[in-house]
Amino acid sequence: MSVVFDGSPLKAMQSSHTHTPQTALSTQELSQEIKSFISGVDTVQGRKLSVREHARCAVRLLRSVPACRGAVLEHLRGVYDEHVSAFLHNLETESNASTGVSSNLEDIIQEIHAVLSEFIRLNPRAWAPLVSTWAVDLLGQLSSKHAGRRVAPHSSSLNELLQLWMSCAATRSLMEAYSQCLAAMLAWCPDACVDALLDTSVQHSPHFDWVVAHIGSAFPGTIISRVMACGLKDFCSHGAKDQGLLVMGVDKGSRVPKIGSVVGILGHLAAHHSDSIRKELLRMFQESLNPSSPLSPTSSSTSWESSPQLRRAAVPFLLQLAAMSPNLFGPVSAELVELLRPPVLLQLQAVLQGLPREELDNMLGLVVHLISQSPSGGARVFRFLADTATPASVIISGPTPSPHEGVREGCDRLLQMLLLHLHKLVFNRTDGVEVNPHHSASSQPQRVIPFLEELQSHVGQLCAETLRLERKRHLWLHQLLCLLSVYGGPSTATEALCQLLTQARNPEELALAWQLHTTLSSCMAGLIPAAIARSVAQIHTHTLGPRQLRQLLLNLAAAIQSQDEERRGATGAQSSMVVQVGSAVSGHLHDFCPLLLHGDPAVSHAAVRLLSCSPLPRTCSPAQLLQLSRAAVTHFFLTLRRRGEGGKAGRDGGQAGEAVNCSVLLLSRFAAYSPLTLKSVLQQLVEGALHKGNTDLFGGQIADMSGAPVPSPSVSPDVGASLLDVNCRFGTTVNFSSSVWSVFHAGVIGKGLKARTITQLPDPSLVIQNIQILLAVIVKCCSSSGLNGSRSPSDPDEPPPINAEAAKVVAVTLVENVCPDVANSELSWPPEEHARTTVERDIHIRRCFEAHPVLFPLLQVVAAGRPALCYCSAVLRGLLATLLAHWEASREAASTDSPWHLQASCLLVSCMGEGQILPPVLANVHEAFPHLTPFEVRLLLLAVWEYVRGNGPMPQKFVFSSEKGMFCRDFSRDGDVARYVAPIHSVLHKNIDRLGHLCWRFQL
Amino acid sequence: MGDIRQSLLPRDVLSAAKELLYHLDIYICNLVQSGRQPPQVDSKTLELVEEFILHAPKDRNTPARRMSALQELQLLEIMCSCFQEQSRDAVRQLMFAALFNLQGNQADESRMALLGKLVSMAIAVGRVPILECAATWLQRTHRVYCVRLAQVLVDDYCSMVPGSVPTLQNIHSASPRFCCQFITAVTTLYDFTSEELTPPLELLQMIVSWIQDDPHLVLITFLNSPISGSQPITSLDVTPLGGLVRWCIKAPLVYRRDKKQALTNGSSENEPEVGPLFSALHLSVLQVLMLLPNILNEKGLFGRLALLQMESLAALTSDLSRLLDQADKHTHTSSADTLALSQLALDRLAQALQVAMASGALLCSRGNSVEKWCRECLYIVVLLQLVLSGPVMYYNNIHTSPLAYSPHAAHSPIAPHPTLPALPTHRAHTPHAPLAPHPSSHPQYPAQPFMTGMPFPFRPSH
Repeated sequence: MSVVFDGSPLKAMQSSHTHTPQTALSTQELSQEIKSFISGVDTVQGRKLSVREHARCAVRLLRSVPACRGAVLEHLRGVYDEHVSAFLHNLETESNASTGVSSNLEDIIQEIHAVLSEFIRLNPRAWAPLVSTWAVDLLGQLSSKHAGRRVAPHSSSLNELLQLWMSCAATRSLMEAYSQCLAAMLAWCPDACVDALLDTSVQHSPHFDWVVAHIGSAFPGTIISRVMACGLKDFCSHGAKDQGLLVMGVDKGSRVPKIGSVVGILGHLAAHHSDSIRKELLRMFQESLNPSSPLSPTSSSTSWESSPQLRRAAVPFLLQLAAMSPNLFGPVSAELVELLRPPVLLQLQAVLQGLPREELDNMLGLVVHLISQSPSGGARVFRFLADTATPASVIISGPTPSPHEGVREGCDRLLQMLLLHLHKLVFNRTDGVEVNPHHSASSQPQRVIPFLEELQSHVGQLCAETLRLERKRHLWLHQLLCLLSVYGGPSTATEALCQLLTQARNPEELALAWQLHTTLSSCMAGLIPAAIARSVAQIHTHTLGPRQLRQLLLNLAAAIQSQDEERRGATGAQSSMVVQVGSAVSGHLHDFCPLLLHGDPAVSHAAVRLLSCSPLPRTCSPAQLLQLSRAAVTHFFLTLRRRGEGGKAGRDGGQAGEAVNCSVLLLSRFAAYSPLTLKSVLQQLVEGALHKGNTDLFGGQIADMSGAPVPSPSVSPDVGASLLDVNCRFGTTVNFSSSVWSVFHAGVIGKGLKARTITQLPDPSLVIQNIQILLAVIVKCCSSSGLNGSRSPSDPDEPPPINAEAAKVVAVTLVENVCPDVANSELSWPPEEHARTTVERDIHIRRCFEAHPVLFPLLQVVAAGRPALCYCSAVLRGLLATLLAHWEASREAASTDSPWHLQASCLLVSCMGEGQILPPVLANVHEAFPHLTPFEVRLLLLAVWEYVRGNGPMPQKFVFSSEKGMFCRDFSRDGDVARYVAPIHSVLHKNIDRLGHLCWRFQL
Repeated sequence: MGDIRQSLLPRDVLSAAKELLYHLDIYICNLVQSGRQPPQVDSKTLELVEEFILHAPKDRNTPARRMSALQELQLLEIMCSCFQEQSRDAVRQLMFAALFNLQGNQADESRMALLGKLVSMAIAVGRVPILECAATWLQRTHRVYCVRLAQVLVDDYCSMVPGSVPTLQNIHSASPRFCCQFITAVTTLYDFTSEELTPPLELLQMIVSWIQDDPHLVLITFLNSPISGSQPITSLDVTPLGGLVRWCIKAPLVYRRDKKQALTNGSSENEPEVGPLFSALHLSVLQVLMLLPNILNEKGLFGRLALLQMESLAALTSDLSRLLDQADKHTHTSSADTLALSQLALDRLAQALQVAMASGALLCSRGNSVEKWCRECLYIVVLLQLVLSGPVMYYNNIHTSPLAYSPHAAHSPIAPHPTLPALPTHRAHTPHAPLAPHPSSHPQYPAQPFMTGMPFPFRPSH
């Protein structure tokens, strides 16, 4: 019990009273006493009694004359009042002048208190009802009488009031006495006691609330339930007429005094007994629903459960209570929602059916108001409402069985009203500011809507639920999202949009995002860029999982792709939005490009899809462009590899293939973006194709510096030779017998040739495909209109010509990669004999070609982009030199016996012909190669060499022909071809039996 | 008298009442002096009393005036002195009657309230005249109201104000008549039917000490009042004897029950034992009964006036059998105690009956009525016996059909007992004899045959 009457003197006095033998007064004396008491004059001495003596006299009578009880108690009221006045006066003057009086009275009050508490202790049954009524009544009278005093705090501040009154001996004593009575009476009749308390409370409300609150905190269990029952009764008798006023919190309810008191009291108690209050509120709710609750022994006394009228009023009453005190309502709401299981809902419906329509409407409004004002649990409430209101057939998941139809309709209605209400709140809120431009926004602060405030943190969940697309439900949720976005401003709106973009899994779901945007776009600008920026930020912070990331990218891609469709079809708000998406994405391209190399194939695939379809930004820094191109190219090779692996695994083939297509598309678009990107893309494509890691894709072998395939260390036996050792011994043991280089290239002398590694070549068909794809990319890049913008609007069947500049880039890169030594070297060819000086380099070049089959197709591409092949001159020469050496040394019967060399010779010559380094007559010689002996091949190749030596492969010799749209070389300007054709004719002649059909090819 | 109403109306409550009392005094003095027989206060005056002293609402449209407790106290004080100062007893009685005789209207409630306070105050300040008037009032009024007055006094002095019992005790010396009536009312009030209706210990002690000091006290009303047929039938008994006999007989069983409850409730055990008090009371009652023949003979009423009413004794026996029934249900728990106490109650009943019949307080033709009681008593005694001696079957048989199933039909306990009136005397001197059988002996001992002529075949309890 928290009411402690702190006063050891009091206890001492009490004990002294009980122990001192009471001097029994004679009847005469008693008679005198009574006379004195009545007249206030000492009958013996004939002088006026002081307040103190008078009170003493009263106490004596109380002890000895039972019949004086009422009168004495009545007199004591005056004494208490006197003390309170003195006390307050003392406080007001803040002087110590009157302490004498007050302490005097304080002392008599303690005496009185001692007597009363002794009586109560000795015979609670007789005294407790009497004293409790008296004390409560007096307390009420005192509190309201002195409520207007200057020192008395306003009645709304319960705690201050409590402090004031508990520091006053009189009121404290009364409170103590009442507590004692209540403690005694709780056992047998708490009702009478509490009813008196509440009656007084009503009479003296709100000044009396502190008493109830204090008592309540001492006896929470009893008081809380009683206070509520009392409030309910009062509410019921007042009817629902006043309810309307309170719905919107307009009127604080002077017309309903009791409920105000109830709220005040409970509010005070809530500080320490919120749990009991919560339980009690819930209990009241439950009890009110039980149609035939057998009166339990505990509830029989309170008895509001037994009256159907009161039970019906319980729910409106609780709502009203909640509306008036958010403190009370807050903690209850969550549990309440838990309670509302279908059977309870049915009961509730049954109870509410009996109410008139107007009242129901009021209640509905109240509920809506409550929900919108509840600061916590809103998400749960809303989910509950949506769950319940969703038509049964659509409830797919969820543990709750389908609710009754009536309940469902009720919830449906409630939900719609809630949304409507929120709508009003949200839009009035902003309107209010606009209507009064004179008032600054600060003077009229934006009204906070706690429900939405709280839901702001649940945007993600809401989005997820919305996206489930359950029939009615997602409409509500969507509406709520809109409201939430408007309420929360751009940040919330952005988040919602972001969430939708991240979580949507198919076009229907994605459409929700656009719907949301359409709704919001009217009042919010720049939503989409913000959303994209936010997504990008999320990407940077790695807050999205791979799956979400992928979904986001795909959704964006889908959005942009729809743009293309829209462009053809109808245009409207959506298309403008799509355009916005496109531009926003393009602004963040460089943020997306790292995703191309994301570890998860799905993500990188999604990224490539997005990038491949997103428009490119108008301006972009070179660094970003380079970064982009690098990523794109790397991704290209990655997809090729994945496709190969996927093909092996037999799954995801389609996706990998699509990824390749996208990648190709991306590269080509990107290459077309600017000369810089074109150059960078091509360079990297070529480099990548020749890169060690990628060679196997194109059927190549990993080559070492010399161009020869490197044996894997585990395979090659250790021959015990080390170049380092040799070099260390260089000074001492001079070994000039042969060149160090040659020794180590072919193997160590004395140990035979180096073992060639047998690398496992990938599936040839795959290789061919890969090469085809690579070529396609390069061709696409090269033929795009990026460089000169001279794309001829010719018919689409004919592939566009390969751009010369692009081809040059390829050529230069190729040369750099095949043999860096000869990069930027002289283009013109020396005499054939000089080739002996470059044997080493030539071998390197040849091995390169051997290791990278992709080189020949690349050369062909270059050749097509005349005059780019000229820049490959050194490489061509080196290759031709080694071929000449081979054919010269070859002792085979036919050229077909060395197939690679034959093929290389054919390809080389045809390339040179395509690149117009050779005139057609010479270029056709390769057709004869397979039918000739090695020596004859050498003769023909020599003729080729001679021609090139004579007519150097200079780009200046090419002129642009506008009708063909490409560069061409006019061979007539060069020297006579005839003299180079002579060996051809000789060979033809010699082998006329086999080559007759080719003769026409070599006519001049 | 009625014409003063107009002058009273504008006065404040207290002075109006005061003035009315003053006028009433004069009016009654005149009435008595006029010698009209019987002196009768007219109804106009009674209405005035109701309006200005009791503040009963006169009609609906005038709001009832109320006195504050202080004013009421002043009024009481004035009344006290008024009665004290009035020397003529007849005037006092008339005035008291005018003020407090019940009129059967709605003023009766406030009348009773005021009366309770007045008497309570008179006791405190020793106003004998008021007590005397109240004694008369108690004789004439319906017992229900008498009981209420007694209740107020007991509440005031025995429970509300601790340490005020001595004040109440003084009424014995102040007004024996009132004291006697008070005892009668109290014994009527507390009939042991519930816990609330069990007399407080202080009251019991007080009554016992009163009667022990002066047994004649019980008969004072009887001695002082003329025996006439004017006594309303609904008023209290002339003497408290009937009530006291009831107390003594019921007490053992009731207090046993209470004690058991107290034990289970774990309440304090340090209260003095009430048993001896009731024993003393019983003895006193028997002594008073023994006094009766002389007094009755003096008055020439012996055999003509029944101080103990037959009906009340009949009610008592039925109550007793019910109590024994209840006691029987608890036999298996504390049979020894129960049996001893039951026996005590029966013994007291028998003694009281015998002495009352002998002293002429109880008038009964030695015919059917006594026969009937004896039979009832016999039932009870047999019941006891069977409980003591044997299987439960007996018990059932007796209560359903005495002869039908009993294997011992030959020894049917129902046989009328010729020696019944003397029966208790065998045991009277040993009311606390160890009667308890061995608690676990029932299965071991087969049914003890009931011996005719051996009324209490108790087994030895060792």
